[in-house]
Amino acid sequence: MAASALFILDLKGKPLISRNYKGDVGLGEIENFMGVLQQREEEGTLTPVLTYGHVHFLWIKHSNLYLVATTKKNGNASLVFSFLYKVVEVFCEYFKELEEESVRDNFVIVYELLDELMDFGFPQTTDSKIPAGVSVGRGLWGGWGPAQSPPPVMEGPPLRYITQEGNKLDTGRSRVPTTVTNAVSWRSEGIRYKKNEVFIDVIEAVNLLVSASGSVVLSEVLGTIKLKVFLSGMPELRLGLNDRVLFELTGRGKNKSVELEDVKFHQCVRLSRFDNDRTISFIPPDGDFELMSYRLHTQVKPLIWIESIIEKFSHSRVEIMVKAKGQFKKQSVANGVEISVPVPSDADSPKFKTSVGSARYLPERNVVIWSIKSFPGGKEHLMRAHFGLPSVEKEEEEGRPPIAVRFEIPYFTVSGIQVRYMKIIEKSGYQALPWVRYITQSGDYQIRTN
Amino acid sequence: MPYLGGEEAQRELRRALSNPHVQADPARYRGAVLRVIRLMAQGVDVSGLFPEMVKAGAVPDVVQKKLVSFYVRSQAPRQPQLALLAVNSLRKDCAHPSPAVRGLALRTMCGLRCGGARGTAGCPRPRCPADVRLPSRRMPGIQEYLQQPLVSGLRDKASYVRRVAVLGCAKMVKLQGDCEVDGALVNELYSLLRDQDPIVVVNCLRALEEILKKEGGVVINKPIAHHLLNRMPDLDQWGQSEVLTFLLRYKPRSEDELFDILNLLDGYLKSSSPSVVMAATKLFLVLAREYPDVQTDVLVRVKGPLLSVCTSESRELCFTALCHVRQILRTLPGHFSSHYKKFFCSYSEPHYIKCQKMEVLCELVNDENVQQVLEELKGYCTDVSVELAQGAIFAIANIARTYTEQCVGILTELLGLQQEHITSAVVRAFRDLAWLCPQCTDAVCQALPGCEDTIQDSEGKQALVWLLGTHGEKIPNAPYVLEDFVENVKSETFPAVKMELLTALLRLFLARPAECQDMLGRLLYYCIEEEQDMAVRDRGLFYYRLLQSGVEEVKRVLCSPKSDPSLGLLGDQSKQPVNAWAWEFNTLATVYGRERWALATAQQPVEPSYSCSPYADSRNRDTVLEVHPGTPVSEGNKELLKAHPDAGSLSLIPNVSLTAEQFEKTWLSLDTSCQLSLPWCGLVHADTIQTALRVVHIQTIAMSKAGAQPWKAYLSAQHDSGCLFLTELLHEAADSELQISVKQNEAKPEALQSFISTLRTVLEAVAGLES
Repeated sequence: MAASALFILDLKGKPLISRNYKGDVGLGEIENFMGVLQQREEEGTLTPVLTYGHVHFLWIKHSNLYLVATTKKNGNASLVFSFLYKVVEVFCEYFKELEEESVRDNFVIVYELLDELMDFGFPQTTDSKIPAGVSVGRGLWGGWGPAQSPPPVMEGPPLRYITQEGNKLDTGRSRVPTTVTNAVSWRSEGIRYKKNEVFIDVIEAVNLLVSASGSVVLSEVLGTIKLKVFLSGMPELRLGLNDRVLFELTGRGKNKSVELEDVKFHQCVRLSRFDNDRTISFIPPDGDFELMSYRLHTQVKPLIWIESIIEKFSHSRVEIMVKAKGQFKKQSVANGVEISVPVPSDADSPKFKTSVGSARYLPERNVVIWSIKSFPGGKEHLMRAHFGLPSVEKEEEEGRPPIAVRFEIPYFTVSGIQVRYMKIIEKSGYQALPWVRYITQSGDYQIRTN
Repeated sequence: MPYLGGEEAQRELRRALSNPHVQADPARYRGAVLRVIRLMAQGVDVSGLFPEMVKAGAVPDVVQKKLVSFYVRSQAPRQPQLALLAVNSLRKDCAHPSPAVRGLALRTMCGLRCGGARGTAGCPRPRCPADVRLPSRRMPGIQEYLQQPLVSGLRDKASYVRRVAVLGCAKMVKLQGDCEVDGALVNELYSLLRDQDPIVVVNCLRALEEILKKEGGVVINKPIAHHLLNRMPDLDQWGQSEVLTFLLRYKPRSEDELFDILNLLDGYLKSSSPSVVMAATKLFLVLAREYPDVQTDVLVRVKGPLLSVCTSESRELCFTALCHVRQILRTLPGHFSSHYKKFFCSYSEPHYIKCQKMEVLCELVNDENVQQVLEELKGYCTDVSVELAQGAIFAIANIARTYTEQCVGILTELLGLQQEHITSAVVRAFRDLAWLCPQCTDAVCQALPGCEDTIQDSEGKQALVWLLGTHGEKIPNAPYVLEDFVENVKSETFPAVKMELLTALLRLFLARPAECQDMLGRLLYYCIEEEQDMAVRDRGLFYYRLLQSGVEEVKRVLCSPKSDPSLGLLGDQSKQPVNAWAWEFNTLATVYGRERWALATAQQPVEPSYSCSPYADSRNRDTVLEVHPGTPVSEGNKELLKAHPDAGSLSLIPNVSLTAEQFEKTWLSLDTSCQLSLPWCGLVHADTIQTALRVVHIQTIAMSKAGAQPWKAYLSAQHDSGCLFLTELLHEAADSELQISVKQNEAKPEALQSFISTLRTVLEAVAGLES
């Protein structure tokens, strides 16, 4: 059981939306939430799970809203948090921004969606194609009725566990009798497109943490393959990657291949086939979804290297010098590079000099942002900034936020992963076009400062 | 608070709603309905429009129907007599050609009964009494109206309607209260487990769990378990998580079956949904409770998925995962050591994540990574957040128990910053270290001079004074620092510091009498003659009189040990077996940490324990243990028992009186339902076992004398459903095992399972005490 009730509160803790699914926690209980939250915040012991009396509050914060689920049970926190994030995702699909204003303006849809997302405290349909539509005219009540598609065949996965006596099970096939099931829950029948297309986005996000002394503390690449599927009927898709394990299996070891770690798939992918012969085969959901994600632990050279000198002369000025170097192939170009450098909160009268791009001071965030529209590989750029400091020093100490970098390098992947083919087979035999796009982005990319 | 003009607006709306011209124009009609809802959202009492609104629901427009459904559900509690009006038109809608309308009508109808307790659309004002009134007294007749549409809803051809109807059954039964549960309905729901639609299947489980909670919830027998296993791939992440949780109560019949299930579910350990990963891990750990190797293997396999949740963008999921990582580390200390960098804090992370990460770092430190981990923690010590900085210092102090030299070096370095909160935390850390690791005392003593100027808070001062008093012979200027404290004792605000000062000075006096005698006299004089705080004054008087009885006597009383290295070791030994927490995995108890969870739920009164899942809710059992303070159990024993509430909520009836004859008769008439053996070394201490068992309401019927070979005991307990558990314990001299056979007079596999795990917990706890 997930949640007894769901609330959307404004920043003061006033409920904008209350939906009591179960009735075992009174709606009045939410009045205690803000008190507990503030008290714990003062004590410095705030956590995402709070308890008042019998009631546990599991909450997340999104823009200027709190989303709170209440329960009396010793429930499953990860399920509830995943669900709350799903709620946010669905709302965002409907009204772009989820914030106090949009909730107030669309409260009827909010209630309508909450009705479809959860019933009696249990999550129901949560894909974003939920049929709701008071004022949004999207796919109203389409695609109902039991689906009668052919069942995905269930195979026993290969052996992994050995019994205590050390006897291997004699067969890979499971002795649990397989029944014929039908219905692919993630795709309904009768989808039609004039033009059948699939768009494949290979996105790699680079997380980097560099210590103040300039050594790389943490570097990892998180890859995701996202699909936009516009295909009719019940298509069977097969995706071919330059996966090292597959190449070794098939004796193509010499070709350029990528070792993927920690691979995770969307539920539509037949895991048993992947485990057997590394084939990624699936019946896709309609529209956008994330097909798979992977991780690369091999240390890669930081794509954009930053060196900085921040000198603070008390009572007079701060001098900042930042050097950025593109450490990727010369043919590639990083777009939309934004380097944000922290400055003291009492700094004033900024002056900048940049070798390329422009710098601007954001006093509300206490940073200088140096933006470079296009940054080719191998190049090195410089920015200098000068700030005045008041002669009277501030009382409280300030933290040392890191320098953060954002960028995007199209047509390039750090891992060198490649989509070799995408086969699309549908019984009506139409021709479909797959489109592939590669992109490398900054993830959590931080350089600590002294 | 109906705002001004509310009545006027209502009148106008009534006119509009009943105007045939408006009714003829769908757009205008819907507009009028929407305005009613808006008013309702603003808190205006629009209950007077009930008949008009019900009528407005009888149009073909689905959107309007939805709006009316909102209205009806939130207003029905205020208009109970009129609600039947709505039922009529809703029943008509239940036969509507569109599945969406049928589903909506069903849900609305079930919602009518729950009306009061449910959220009122757009009227989020909990203080409004109508919202919290109990639902079951309203509209007594509605059940008859509900039953038939629900039953036909269960057989509807559209899955959407079936989903609604299945949960509708649970709602109906809940509102019927104490009535007998309709067996036909239960059977129907069981057969719907074979439904094509995956959400219907999961809803059936949820509904049955709710309907049958008095009987221990839905029964997962072999065919059902296997069926669910086969349906797993079709379910969405919510369904998968819940089915994995329901499967917890299935006990595979054979080892082969168990391993087949594990193989079949293996992929879910690597699911992309964190809640599925967690649920699958728990199921694996619980199913493989007899196979520690498999459990370890499972924990190795979920390492990757858990780590990626730990770095996920959702902070709350990240926090939850970190709590679970800590739990795992308590069993497998080295488990995440090679991934220590994942637990380095990022600047923008919230405090609760940083704290968890520091705790994790402390627990996974080893010879290879200690340097880097300490370097990183050192960076946090100078954070602007006082809590974080002190947390980091205590983390280093924690690591110092193993890597003393390096850590004391870092801590000493920090003293050089002369920051108040840092020095205070370091000195407190030093005090604990001097107590736990006597080998670092010299280094600590060398670092201390100078600290007294920066420390302002009570805790820090106490620590400093304690160190000066206890190890004063190694600190040359100790008497002079203490003298400063004595000089300023009048302006000292914390009584605790004064108490500490008295003890410390007296101790130092024993070591360095010449330097201390004078100021000790002054301090005692002050404490006895001028001090306002009674506790301090009493302590002063006590020491004064103690001194009168001679130095030897003072030494005897005050010169207690200066360190206790064994305490530090005890902490390290607390490696928990996986089975001690497997049942708590993926629950709030793990997120809170066991001690804090017990605290958070301790004040709760005992509820009749019809918990939703017999296992998930360890709270009730905790309380059961705690409400019998009279039970004669040694403190340590009780602590241990409380610390192992992994058995889930099993409610045994206290004080069942079963005579030995009755026991014998029943014992002989029954077959053994379960046999297991526990590792057991040495002799059996009958008294300890007996008292420990009594705490969990298991009675001892008969027992061999201590030391008898073989040693036997017969136990009985009764579940609150009436089911009897009879148990034999057998320990033979040659064996290092305790054989346990359990018989029960009704076949209740879940109850048996939780009884056995309770029994195991108790016996393991006792075994742990004795070894």
